[in-house]
Amino acid sequence: MSGALLVTLPVAAPVAAAVVAVVAPWPRARSASGVAASLAVLACGVALAAGNEVGRTVADDHLLRVDAAAAFMVTVIGAIGTLATVAGVGYLRTEGARDATATRDARRYEALVQVFLAAMTLSVLAGNLGVVWVAIEATTISTAFLVGHRRTRSSLEATWKYVVICSFGITLAFFGVVLLYLAATQAGIPPAQALDLGTLSAHAARLDPALTRLAVGLMLAGFGTKAGLVPFHTWLADAHGQAPAPVSALMSGVLLSVALVVVLRVRSLADAALGPGFARDWLLATGLATLLVAVSLLVAQRDLKRLLAYSSLEQMGLLAVAAASGTRLAIEGILLVVAAHGLAKALLFVTAGELQHAEGTTSISDLAGVASRAPALAGALAAGLVALVGLPPFALFAGEIAIARGMADAHLATALAAALVLLVVGSGSLVSHGVTVLFGRPAREGRRVRASPATAVVAVTGVTVLLVLGVVGGPLAHLLAAAATSLGAR
Amino acid sequence: MSAGTYASLVDLAAGLLLLSAVLVVWRRDLRAATRLLAVQGAALGAIPVLAGIRARDAHLLVVGAAVIALRAVVFPRLVAARLRGAPSHDREGAPVVNTATSLLVTALLVTAAYALGGSLVHAGPSSSARAAPVGFALVLVGVFLLATRRHALSQVVALLLLDNGIDAVAFLASHGVPPVVELGASLDVLLAIVILGVLAGRMHEKFGGTDLDDLRELHE
Amino acid sequence: MSAGAPDARDAPATSGRRHERAALAAGIATSLLGAAGVALGVVAVASGVGPVRVGGALPLAGVTLAAGATGGLFLLLTGAVAVAVGAYSAGYERHGSTGPAQLAAVPFFVAAMLLVPLAGSATTFLAAWELMALASLVAILADHARAAVRDAARWYAVMTHLGFVAILLAFVVLGAAGHADALAVLERRAGSLSSSSRDVVFLLSFLGFGAKAGLVPLHVWLPRAHPEAPSPVSALMSAAMVATGVYGIVRIDVEVLGGGPRWWALVVVLAGATSALFGVIQASVSTDLKRLLAYSTTENMGLVTLALGSSMLLADYGERSLATVALVAALVHVVAHAAFKSLAFLGAGAVLFATGLRDLDLLGGLATRMPATTGLFFVAALGASGLPLGAGFVGEWLLVQSLIHSRPGTGTLLALVMPVAVGVVALTTGLGVAAMVKASGIAFLARPRSAEAARAHEVPAAMVAPMATLAAASAVLAVAPSALAPALGRLARELPGHPGSFPQLGLLLRLPGVAGSVSPGLLAVGVVAASGGVVALRALVGRSRRPRGTRAPLWSGGAGALTERMQYTATSFAEPLQRVFDDVLRPDVDVEVGHVEESRYLVERVRYRSRIGDVVEERVFSRVLDGVHAWASLVRRVHNGSVHRYLAIGALALVAAVAVAR
Repeated sequence: MSGALLVTLPVAAPVAAAVVAVVAPWPRARSASGVAASLAVLACGVALAAGNEVGRTVADDHLLRVDAAAAFMVTVIGAIGTLATVAGVGYLRTEGARDATATRDARRYEALVQVFLAAMTLSVLAGNLGVVWVAIEATTISTAFLVGHRRTRSSLEATWKYVVICSFGITLAFFGVVLLYLAATQAGIPPAQALDLGTLSAHAARLDPALTRLAVGLMLAGFGTKAGLVPFHTWLADAHGQAPAPVSALMSGVLLSVALVVVLRVRSLADAALGPGFARDWLLATGLATLLVAVSLLVAQRDLKRLLAYSSLEQMGLLAVAAASGTRLAIEGILLVVAAHGLAKALLFVTAGELQHAEGTTSISDLAGVASRAPALAGALAAGLVALVGLPPFALFAGEIAIARGMADAHLATALAAALVLLVVGSGSLVSHGVTVLFGRPAREGRRVRASPATAVVAVTGVTVLLVLGVVGGPLAHLLAAAATSLGAR
Repeated sequence: MSAGTYASLVDLAAGLLLLSAVLVVWRRDLRAATRLLAVQGAALGAIPVLAGIRARDAHLLVVGAAVIALRAVVFPRLVAARLRGAPSHDREGAPVVNTATSLLVTALLVTAAYALGGSLVHAGPSSSARAAPVGFALVLVGVFLLATRRHALSQVVALLLLDNGIDAVAFLASHGVPPVVELGASLDVLLAIVILGVLAGRMHEKFGGTDLDDLRELHE
Repeated sequence: MSAGAPDARDAPATSGRRHERAALAAGIATSLLGAAGVALGVVAVASGVGPVRVGGALPLAGVTLAAGATGGLFLLLTGAVAVAVGAYSAGYERHGSTGPAQLAAVPFFVAAMLLVPLAGSATTFLAAWELMALASLVAILADHARAAVRDAARWYAVMTHLGFVAILLAFVVLGAAGHADALAVLERRAGSLSSSSRDVVFLLSFLGFGAKAGLVPLHVWLPRAHPEAPSPVSALMSAAMVATGVYGIVRIDVEVLGGGPRWWALVVVLAGATSALFGVIQASVSTDLKRLLAYSTTENMGLVTLALGSSMLLADYGERSLATVALVAALVHVVAHAAFKSLAFLGAGAVLFATGLRDLDLLGGLATRMPATTGLFFVAALGASGLPLGAGFVGEWLLVQSLIHSRPGTGTLLALVMPVAVGVVALTTGLGVAAMVKASGIAFLARPRSAEAARAHEVPAAMVAPMATLAAASAVLAVAPSALAPALGRLARELPGHPGSFPQLGLLLRLPGVAGSVSPGLLAVGVVAASGGVVALRALVGRSRRPRGTRAPLWSGGAGALTERMQYTATSFAEPLQRVFDDVLRPDVDVEVGHVEESRYLVERVRYRSRIGDVVEERVFSRVLDGVHAWASLVRRVHNGSVHRYLAIGALALVAAVAVAR
């Protein structure tokens, strides 16, 4: 396959599927095209990664650029996108059976999910900061009506807060991009390349320090909005809690990580322009604050989906702290955690969504005792929680160990200790609530719940891939090392 | 056009930007706010037009025209369209902070913008860089409005103010960002306004009003 | 999870048979893994295992397996306990209702415990450690319908994760300073580390491994988790898992770090002494049989740690031979503890199986109904009390010998610490005897205190046989510790700073360079012969003078027939100790006097309620938990749902960006 095709297909395929979703009258065709588009993204990602193993860039277009990190992220987006679209098929079918979703809403759902996927792949493949910004804002726009898919008061409230807070944050990021552009043109870089990531890194030393500091600060804060970093974390629980489960899986599993990778790119730029201290201090502060807030809100959490959302916030805080160190092992660990966390969150949200459909509630105390009512779902939930807490043999463990080693290498052991202690509280809360959900005394005698085929496929695939990655994921080391280098690892 | 004329015209445009922002803070009526946004959009678009006339760059003229079309015409009309359906008492925003205090805070923010932003955008390509802190002031005023206005559509106005401010910095300190970025950004803002408008409409249906204080059901 | 098939309409017989087969399979798997562990241990002690590197496993780190004599000893220990427990659990779980996941967790638990001594790199160690935690957590949740079990699982999960974080931090600091992941490489480079790094690594690793070994103050999971877990799992946890904590201390703090400043030894001694005393005091007043055994584990691990600390202190003062003796004492005691504690828990499991009770105040009279279990439990109790016929005697004797024989004038600190340590050991042993007498006497002797105890019957032979094997092992360790001599000798040679000559562990325990020796075997024979002689003499002499038997009611002072309720209970047995150690135990005592309706001067009923919780848990951890909850509600109040507040919080970012740009 020619390089240019491999680079544009991850963006083009979902857009095509979106068009099909709007136009085609048969529901099977719409669902099939959606899943096919996600699989296409996955295949492209694998092909790009395999090609990038050798270290060369496949295509270095003006606006789209592929490096190892982009290839890795495209693979992750494709994998979790596939899981989410498969789960979405089951979700829409269940909703349709209950007449809860009109056909027009179902079409809009499928189209928007595909646009969402396209926006995410564009943001990781973009080589121009401005295009990255446009793509990230596009993710907000495409997910707005996905969050508000169920037309309830709560989802409307969640959507409003999501759009306004994210727009505010992203606008600050735009301000940062503009200021960086100013700094670049003032430093003599021609305007056409003033936002190109490669050119900026090459000439970073010439940028005016004060202006660049303001620009980087605004960009870290602004792009950090979509990653849920403090102080723009307030939309996360509401949006992820109210959205349909497959959408929450995508948002929690991939979108946060995609935004974090953008933050990583800004970080490597900042290191080149300002020296390692600035971005490190900023990311440490915001990462630890995010961890603190997330853990505090996990402790007495009453809602299952909000619990999962705050767990994502907790992971993002940890990854921000890890990003502050900037060492090779830390960034490789971040990428591995990104993949593993995405899979685990997809698995958990889809299971939670199934429970929500069956029981009509996401309250932890109302859902207690799942193990006796739905053994298969309980098994999936238990596996997902074990993976999320960072226990072996699942892949998150290896990622977190690598992060710990990387941070110790960067002499950030104190920050690591603080983060780990906060994680103990967080994972303790997750285990505690998990035990309640799985084994607690049921509020009322419920009937047996069977997992739908879509959920079963997602759960089995997720657990299997997490296991395989965690036990025999050694060969990934080449890709992760190349990706870490392209993200500016020291 | 001579340098002096250009400089004073750009200063006039910048002054209009600032004035319209302060008036938005002062006037509670959302209809008036949309009209002020139109004025602001026109003033904003005038800057690249003036620069294009001075440098004889057709490119800049096109950009300026597009900016005027979008920000002076399309965006305010979109917001106003949402108001047409709402009953009259919903058009006034009842802010969290009273008018006098708001104006005082606005004055402080403008001063802060000049104090902090002035040193950052030095040595621009043209003398209009002196006026760049105006954009920064607009950003700060926009943030203030965002956090203190009760009406849902007031937040849309505030976001537009924010965006205008950033574009003002771009146009005053330089010749604006590359067209691809400008186009994409404008498209994004357009879609955001459309979405927020639809949501405000749905909010009116479900909550019986657009008072953001009603949105307190989701909390910890 | 329920044990039944997904379709609830299956006949109970089929699901019952399936459950029996699952229990049998799990038990066999556990025993086979144990046997493999024993084999690996023998090889490791004899010639060392590995290093074997599997680079493809565990992404970004790879797995390295290697074991020397230290690892080999602990492999032997774990494997032996697992063999017995596996056989026992096949019989125990057949009649239970544990779900398949929890049954399968036990072999995985044993496998993870065997991986820990086999780990040759820091990351492999950490992976094995966490696998052990996960498997044991799943295994604990066997009877998850009970709220106490769920609470125990929560406490266990949090505390074991806290310990893991400490160990993780220690390993990454060590790895970053030494620029390596393999333990062998780190051992070579440890000498060149800065002293502050070494101190940090020592403190964190001792904290983490101590938590796993059940040392105060991170022991609070032990008395919660061990009683609520099924008895085979409790046996594995108490005998083998806490031993991995000791393994960690020996391997990392003594071997890899290679010893350090004097205050390290003091910290270890202090932790050991505190744990020993606290554990034995709590055990002596506990009325729950399994909780008593759990606290006894803390006590014994405290003694082991005390021995390790004394060894470090003596070595630091140059008393090489005594240091070796103390080290040998520690290791012998760990092995002996594994034998008698697992036997004790299996015995408690048998009691639970037969009566459904753990409460000592409701047991009794089991000696006639369950003779085999009684005898075997008495062997375990004897071992736990440290008396000459028991398995714990050799270790404690060696420890006391090492403490009392230090030369005068060696150092002030030594002169202060050694007598205090002897006092601690003496007090611990004394109270330990009291606790074990209570456990065995109240539970098994006299008359049954409840209907369930009266209905007890002996457990199946499948459960008695493994217990008998462990009892035989205890007896061997009691009279002939020479069985361990080759392993311990090779181990001592591998550890840094112990070139002192090895004590002879033959029929006669002879200490090098010290005037101390004892022969436990001869002692045992002597005691048995003496008691047998006394009994025979009485029988011979008193034959003519034996009175004729007659049946008549017992004289009870005119109060009527004696009932079971008039016996000592466990609570009353321990009441003097509870009064003496009131400050340490802080019991929650409540006396309620109910009066007759007609007159306030006539008492109708007196109700005495006493609850002894864990003071560390109640004073320290509960306060920490309350603080966490208070902070959490503060944060929750901030997130009140107002979009204006959220936007204002976001505006802080703008302020911060501007502030740091200057």
